[in-house]
Amino acid sequence: MGSLDPAFAGAGRVDGGPVVLDLRAVEFVEPAGLCGLAALLEYLILRSEEVGIALAGRDVPAYLERMNFFRLFGDRVRTNADVTSLEERRRHNPGTLQELINFHTEEEIPGIIERISEILENQGYRLRERVAICSVLSEICANAAEHGASSFGAYAAVQAYHHIVSGPRRRGEEVLIAIADGGPGVRETLSCNPALVEYTTTDNDALRHALEMGVSGTGEIGRGGGLALVAGIAARSGGSLSLRSGTGRVTVYESRKNSRNVPEFPGTFVRVSLPRIPHEKTPQ
Amino acid sequence: MISLTTVRTEAVSEERAHGVFEIARGDFGGKLMVTRSTGRAIREALEETLAALPKGGTLYVDTRGVELMDYSFADEALGILASRAASGEYGDRHLVLVEEDRDLLENVEASLRQRSLAMIRVDEIGGEPSIVGEVPDHLVATLQAIYDAGSITNAALAAKLNLNHTACNNRATRLAKLGLIHRRIETAAPGGRQYTYERVV
Repeated sequence: MGSLDPAFAGAGRVDGGPVVLDLRAVEFVEPAGLCGLAALLEYLILRSEEVGIALAGRDVPAYLERMNFFRLFGDRVRTNADVTSLEERRRHNPGTLQELINFHTEEEIPGIIERISEILENQGYRLRERVAICSVLSEICANAAEHGASSFGAYAAVQAYHHIVSGPRRRGEEVLIAIADGGPGVRETLSCNPALVEYTTTDNDALRHALEMGVSGTGEIGRGGGLALVAGIAARSGGSLSLRSGTGRVTVYESRKNSRNVPEFPGTFVRVSLPRIPHEKTPQ
Repeated sequence: MISLTTVRTEAVSEERAHGVFEIARGDFGGKLMVTRSTGRAIREALEETLAALPKGGTLYVDTRGVELMDYSFADEALGILASRAASGEYGDRHLVLVEEDRDLLENVEASLRQRSLAMIRVDEIGGEPSIVGEVPDHLVATLQAIYDAGSITNAALAAKLNLNHTACNNRATRLAKLGLIHRRIETAAPGGRQYTYERVV
């Protein structure tokens, strides 16, 4: 999603006039970028009389089409891409586990999980892998539905790759899960709990603390466990969880946690990388 | 409301009865149990079943047909249920989780530990009991001694653990409040009371 950072940095200056998001230099989009783009467009559509996106080549527009981007935004965003010719292409791709989906309430989540679980099972994912992917998706969707209330709700997408795309490309398989909401953000949510005042000085402070077990905006016992467990699932699999909100971003790996200051994100964004568990070799 | 095929109640002894609630079946059940709202619906059905049991009864919560139980569901359905049971909301009725030792337990364990609670777990009804969740270290030996004995008076338990009667009673009372053991009060001559502790399963 880094290639959208200049756009996030400039989004606050949009004053009602037409705006074009220039994505012509973008050569690769993954679920994180897709969800980030959706959240950014929602932000801009509310503040601009006309929003456009400029795309180059065929790969990025084709991916956006395959992931249902133009179905969700085609009527609201102007584009230079020839969407009609893309629609004629075969849409099915085995790596697409969940196209870009927009949802608002917790009641929609079981249906989302049922569908992706069925796709994973049909594609030969083992029970343990299906459980990890579905657990991650359900928890981050539930957080977005509960804490991320906004005019557009939240966007999620899931994609499987036959190579590792997080960091330098290398052999292996990886599933990427991403979600973006337009809610008040992690710092504001945790600020509702007076006991957390010392942990909400900056966005990065709040993000780091939100990843601890039992930390929540309500302070109720039993709350605030989902995100910590999701981070644990990602770390144990050799992957990562990245949590971004406001001007903070924290990424959790198996043995370390990185924080960075980033351009303001209008809501909360989560990206989870789950490298696939290698199949055990059958004894000869 | 859960369909009758999900719940069956049968007397296991003259004074103890048990019911079985299969999470994967019934109106809200399935292989994939996610979200707090689903957990809440299941908990309400569990509470209804628990309330219908006679005092001293045990409800087996069978999760073996479930493939995925996320933390939100586990906390809402089982964490809060165990919390309310420990606060005495369901009277002298006990909960036992029926589940094998597999990954699914991780979220139940996390929820119960967050709440400093525990549940008795068996692989199958009639199987050997174990604990999921958190039991304070100083109570583990007491719990183990009660389960080893099956049924034991406070005096005998105190002697076995080399504790005075009051300390022993305090520990066992805490275990009874957590719902991990059954406690019977009997009248003992002259005019006194004697506590007997029993394993739940």
